[in-house]
Amino acid sequence: MFRKFGVLMGLAILLSACQPSPTFLEPASSISNHEANLYRIILIMALVVFVLVEGALILILVRDRKRANNEKLPAQIHSNMRLEVTWTVIPILLVIVLFIMTVQTVNAVAAPSHLKSDLNIRVVGHRWWWEFDYPDLGIVTANELHIPKGATVQVQLESVDVIHSFWVPQLSGKTDVVPGQHNTMWLTSDQVGEYLGQCAEFCGTEHALMRFKVIVDSQQDFDAWVANQQKPAYQPQTEDEQAGYMEVTGACAACHSLDPSDLNTKKVGPNLAHLFSRSTFAGGTFDLNEENLRSWLADTQAMKPGNDMDIKILPKTRDQIISYLLNLK
Amino acid sequence: MTIQAQGMSHRRELGANGLLSWIMTVDHKRIGILYLFSAFIFFLVGGTEALLMRIQLAQPDNKFLSPEAYNQIFTMHGTTMIFLVVMPLAAGFGNYLVPLMIGARDMAFPKLNALSYWTFLFGGVFMYSSFLFGGAPNDGWFSYAPLTEKLYSPTHGMDFWVMGILMLGLATTIGSINFIVTIIQLRAPGMTLTKIPLFVWTTFVTSFLAVFSLPSLTTAVLLLLLDRQLGAHFYNTAEGGTALLWQHLFWFFGHPEVYILILPAMGIVSMVIPVFSSKPLFGYAAVVFSTIAIGFLGFTVWAHHMFATGMPTVSLLFFSADSFLIGVPTGVKIFAWMGTMWKGKLRFTSPMLFAIGFVALFLIGGLDGIHLAVVPVDWQITDSYYVVAHIHYVLFGGAIFGIFSGIYYWFPKMTGRLLNESLGKWHFWLLFIGMNLVFMPMHVLGIEGMPRRIYTYGPGRGWELWNFVETIGAFIIAVGIALFVINYIVTMLKAPTHEEDPWDGFTLEWTTSSPPPAYNFAEIPSVRSRRPLWDRKHPELADWRNEA
Repeated sequence: MFRKFGVLMGLAILLSACQPSPTFLEPASSISNHEANLYRIILIMALVVFVLVEGALILILVRDRKRANNEKLPAQIHSNMRLEVTWTVIPILLVIVLFIMTVQTVNAVAAPSHLKSDLNIRVVGHRWWWEFDYPDLGIVTANELHIPKGATVQVQLESVDVIHSFWVPQLSGKTDVVPGQHNTMWLTSDQVGEYLGQCAEFCGTEHALMRFKVIVDSQQDFDAWVANQQKPAYQPQTEDEQAGYMEVTGACAACHSLDPSDLNTKKVGPNLAHLFSRSTFAGGTFDLNEENLRSWLADTQAMKPGNDMDIKILPKTRDQIISYLLNLK
Repeated sequence: MTIQAQGMSHRRELGANGLLSWIMTVDHKRIGILYLFSAFIFFLVGGTEALLMRIQLAQPDNKFLSPEAYNQIFTMHGTTMIFLVVMPLAAGFGNYLVPLMIGARDMAFPKLNALSYWTFLFGGVFMYSSFLFGGAPNDGWFSYAPLTEKLYSPTHGMDFWVMGILMLGLATTIGSINFIVTIIQLRAPGMTLTKIPLFVWTTFVTSFLAVFSLPSLTTAVLLLLLDRQLGAHFYNTAEGGTALLWQHLFWFFGHPEVYILILPAMGIVSMVIPVFSSKPLFGYAAVVFSTIAIGFLGFTVWAHHMFATGMPTVSLLFFSADSFLIGVPTGVKIFAWMGTMWKGKLRFTSPMLFAIGFVALFLIGGLDGIHLAVVPVDWQITDSYYVVAHIHYVLFGGAIFGIFSGIYYWFPKMTGRLLNESLGKWHFWLLFIGMNLVFMPMHVLGIEGMPRRIYTYGPGRGWELWNFVETIGAFIIAVGIALFVINYIVTMLKAPTHEEDPWDGFTLEWTTSSPPPAYNFAEIPSVRSRRPLWDRKHPELADWRNEA
């Protein structure tokens, strides 16, 4: 019976998982793995209690229903000390076991005391996008965090406005990003791949569109990515590009930096130096391609209502800007 | 019945049936009905908001609601269901039933009682009027700072929320003090604390919870008011304020609040199950002690809402341990209800079905809640749809099912009419099936990484199917609720039967006419046991011969 239920549950989850979900039950890190294992153990304990108690309830309901013509009064039992002590003590024992398992797992996923960080990253929450700074490497990027496989990465979380929460289910549980407070967490993964993340603390209008990814690269790919990010931004070649460049370093520069090493700028928009090395934009929401970028610059508020980029750009200027941005590989 | 006739003529003498008589009333029964009726209207509003959200989330990238609208609606859904539905529904039952159950003629302070109701109603209407003045509150019922600061929430929505919460808190505080004094002072002769009906006990403990937890909310909200209106910096981190101050103050209220919402429903279920099992409540003392234990422990677990905020490990484990502990008295209650039904003579009437539904669903809300107390697992599932599933098993499967049980059970007492039983059973099954369709899949979505409070989600994350199923479930619930409204209208159109004791009840409210006269009892009853009416019906098996 129990196995059958498990199979049914499994089927249901499979049905919905025609596409891969960002679930911690398919962990790509030791942290999420520990969390998933503990989750499963407790799920099984809970299911056993569920089956026993609901089963007993159904048994009582079927057996003790009033039958026709039964006018006899049931025995008037007020209490039974032994029984009541039993069903108080058993749950107490169970929660002691649960607590011990909790302590063990908290210790297992906590940053090791001898933690030697291979890479330091500063995550900055903005309404509604993510800034990722690599202070030791002198680079800054947005919405797509690259880390090398196998490295121990120490992450410092800051917010420039309200509370956000950093969550990549397959790599780690949530840590809140609280303004005025420096929370830290750590990441590590042995599996190359892309892992979806999303802001998990309600942060206003576009909380739903504050997504990101963590990309675990092989060391080689990571080094290549860093080398590219450290290069200065593309210099304009054609006339259109030149005109676009003037805009990007002019009006746009009020909010966007074009200097790839421009950490701590306090600018409200993401760094554009290597924009097209990323695959998404606007808080990891839209695929980054010419068509989407054109609609974005035409009317940012239609695509992501409420975002801080509340501007309208004339079609000609728009084309010039895009002709330049397309080269920011 | 002479008492009933007296009651009727008494009413007529006062000429007391016009609208004005309801506005001017200080009769605890009428105030109770006003509470129940107003809160039910708010329930329909909050339910409609839930339907709008489910339509928006039925498919990915849906454009049915704008983000601004969705955020206002989910904020008002939570605020409504907690402050304008479950709390006042419990207050309505408390007002109507506590004096009847303890053999009193009214509450201790009838005029304060009226003040409490009208303050609540004004607070609720005031909050909703924000829709007419530039937008409703939109930062969630939890309203985390600093998002609520004027810089990030410039509309007046949050100001309406702040003022509304202050009024609702005031109403609840007044009402709670009234309950406490009534229960201590006005019990009938012989009704010692060990003999009061369980619903009175839960109202008693709930009132203490409210009186001791609301000051924390009031403080939190007043500081926010100062920040927003006078430029103070309590939560303004840019000027040295503390973001987490709000969370500590809010959850120091917010967790006891969960028990304020669920304990009265537990009290109702503890009244209904014995009657329809023809047995006394199994382990009365244990149920009372577990209620008191929940009352105390409820104040020591607030930070389990904050496991991801970066607290030190020792604090995490302290709050985790306490959260586990609070499961023990809750388990005691579930076993007590099952022990009551054990070898009873079960009658599956509508009130009983809802009470059984409560036990079955609340158990799920207890078991899935364990995961949230396990710190490392909580880091994964907090602020995901898993939590939405959990709170709805507790507050819909629990509180709302308990309240419907109470409505079916005491409706004949309040109106002299029995609600239609077939419609009642349809209502139950639609709600039971619908709620499981809506809220069971939310566990899966939370596990699959879907955060809560998002107005939309992209395709390709495997969230489409369950979101669609949930929307279907929501409409099944809506049909069930519509049947209840129809049942109410149909029943009220019929002539009353004025049955005094249609369910073969146990407690004092069934010894007077239906509806009871303004003065409740012609003669104040004297009490020798927990089931005074049972004793009268079965003198040879009277409880006072057997009670320990």
